[in-house]
Amino acid sequence: MAGYLNLILRLTIWFLLTDDLSWANILIGVTVSLLLPRGATNPGTLKDWLRTLWEVVVAIPQAYKEAFEIMIWPHRHEVVTVDLAKPRRSPGLLFLDIFLITFTPKTIVQRYREQGWYEVHRIQREEVP
Amino acid sequence: MVNFLSYTCIVVGLVFWYWGTWPLLGQRSVLYKLHGLSVADTLGSMAIIVGLLLRIPQEWPLLVLALISLAIWNTVLGYVLAYCSTEDRGYDG
Amino acid sequence: MTLVLIAMIGALLIPMIEALRDDDIWQRMLAFASIATKTSVMILVIALLQDDRMMALVGVIILSVGNAALMLLAQIIRRVNDVMEG
Repeated sequence: MAGYLNLILRLTIWFLLTDDLSWANILIGVTVSLLLPRGATNPGTLKDWLRTLWEVVVAIPQAYKEAFEIMIWPHRHEVVTVDLAKPRRSPGLLFLDIFLITFTPKTIVQRYREQGWYEVHRIQREEVP
Repeated sequence: MVNFLSYTCIVVGLVFWYWGTWPLLGQRSVLYKLHGLSVADTLGSMAIIVGLLLRIPQEWPLLVLALISLAIWNTVLGYVLAYCSTEDRGYDG
Repeated sequence: MTLVLIAMIGALLIPMIEALRDDDIWQRMLAFASIATKTSVMILVIALLQDDRMMALVGVIILSVGNAALMLLAQIIRRVNDVMEG
């Protein structure tokens, strides 16, 4: 089921780019997105995908909130922390996880370790020992 | 009303641009500046494009694509730059 | 809207100054990344002001492929640095 998400993604980009819903265009889009090779061998479950996609939607207002916070109160201190990744993630879901963390302005993923954790770079208001 | 909203979005975006780009001139670390750029270039530009979207709604497919590619590419570029500019200290032996 | 455009050009000057001034390669890469995004947003703004759909399309395409070059460049610089040091 999650394999369809790949197809939907390609078709969405195609229709947004061409802005044309005629039969010929739909046919071209569907054909090309079916013909393009699919890389993911382990797509993950649909539930995981839906939850992560929902988290992306929630992250947008969160990102603006953090942006205003660091504009109003200066965050001068930098720390590097280690966060645990969720277990058994497919590459696509890992990408979305890293995207989520890096998208919010206070945190940036510096490195992902194979053993299942991230190095996250944060900025903070107060020095933490 | 829509005009006012659209100007608000664009002005907020411009404020983000200036605020986030200004630290580039300072002497902070690359990663610290990257946090500023993520405010300026991702969130600021997204605000500007939303402002344009409110003004010219008939061009929505292009602008939505612009929003999506802005969010994804800038964030991933932030990650790649952070990854490449820091030394691998080799915790994993 | 002309004022908005002038303000955008002003914001574009900041990373340009930084790129010219700083010798550290990563600080320069940051400045270039910033310039790339800002110019493509400016292309979009100008295109939509002039009601020119083709220009907007170009802007969107630049937005969606432009940063890929910078990512590849970052990887190459990292490799080259590794080779030079090790």
